[in-house]
Amino acid sequence: MDRRKFLLLSAVAVASFTVAPHLSFGASRIEEDIQKRLGVSLSQIKESPEVKLQAPTIAESGANVPISVESDIPIEKVDSLWIFVDNNGTPWVTTVKFTPMNGKVYFATRIKMRESSNVRAILKLKDGSYVMATKEVKVTAGGCG
Amino acid sequence: MAIGSAIVRVPKEAKKGEVVRIQMVITHPMESGGRRDPQTGQTIPAYHLTKLEIFFNNNLLTAIDMGGGLSANPFVGITMKAEQSGVIKIVYQDNKDGKWERTAEVNVT
Repeated sequence: MDRRKFLLLSAVAVASFTVAPHLSFGASRIEEDIQKRLGVSLSQIKESPEVKLQAPTIAESGANVPISVESDIPIEKVDSLWIFVDNNGTPWVTTVKFTPMNGKVYFATRIKMRESSNVRAILKLKDGSYVMATKEVKVTAGGCG
Repeated sequence: MAIGSAIVRVPKEAKKGEVVRIQMVITHPMESGGRRDPQTGQTIPAYHLTKLEIFFNNNLLTAIDMGGGLSANPFVGITMKAEQSGVIKIVYQDNKDGKWERTAEVNVT
């Protein structure tokens, strides 16, 4: 890493640190978005090892972060998969509606990340319940501009 | 490649009952609408895919809603339980009335 990059990075780090506190005021963007789209609050969705979310620990470019979601929960019990990125302007990324023809729960794509953030994969089951996997991804260069 | 073109990749041959991967890449800028042009300061208008549906022999296999949160030239991978030979068809549209489809064949033995 050269000096210019280092200075830029530390400036970004300081900026995000000073900007961050106002987000914790009231409901955060991710909480509002999940409430709006799923009709449940984030705190009611439990983390489960049954949902396997793969994403890089450190992403070189936020414009192109490969992720994949797998689960051994039988496909017949699963309705849909929802992917969110906490710190994006719009946290919701995509919704995948499965059918039993899929054979198993699997989805892979590439997402944009504005900055370091939690990535969440939420499975909506047919009985109306939700299970989630969360992974923190550090982004060294943002992808939303 | 032109906006809306796509590559669909399926295994040429699959065993009956096998769960196979179906992968696709669609050429599209996926502009989220939240970005500003650094020169002019103007917001760049949203221009992204909104829906991608994958059919097998005209039965819906997977339906995907998306927005500007997917990377440019989005990649999507899903699975299918191969029970018989047939045609995979993907149908996708964007927020500016663009609509396209592509097909690929799967041989199940």
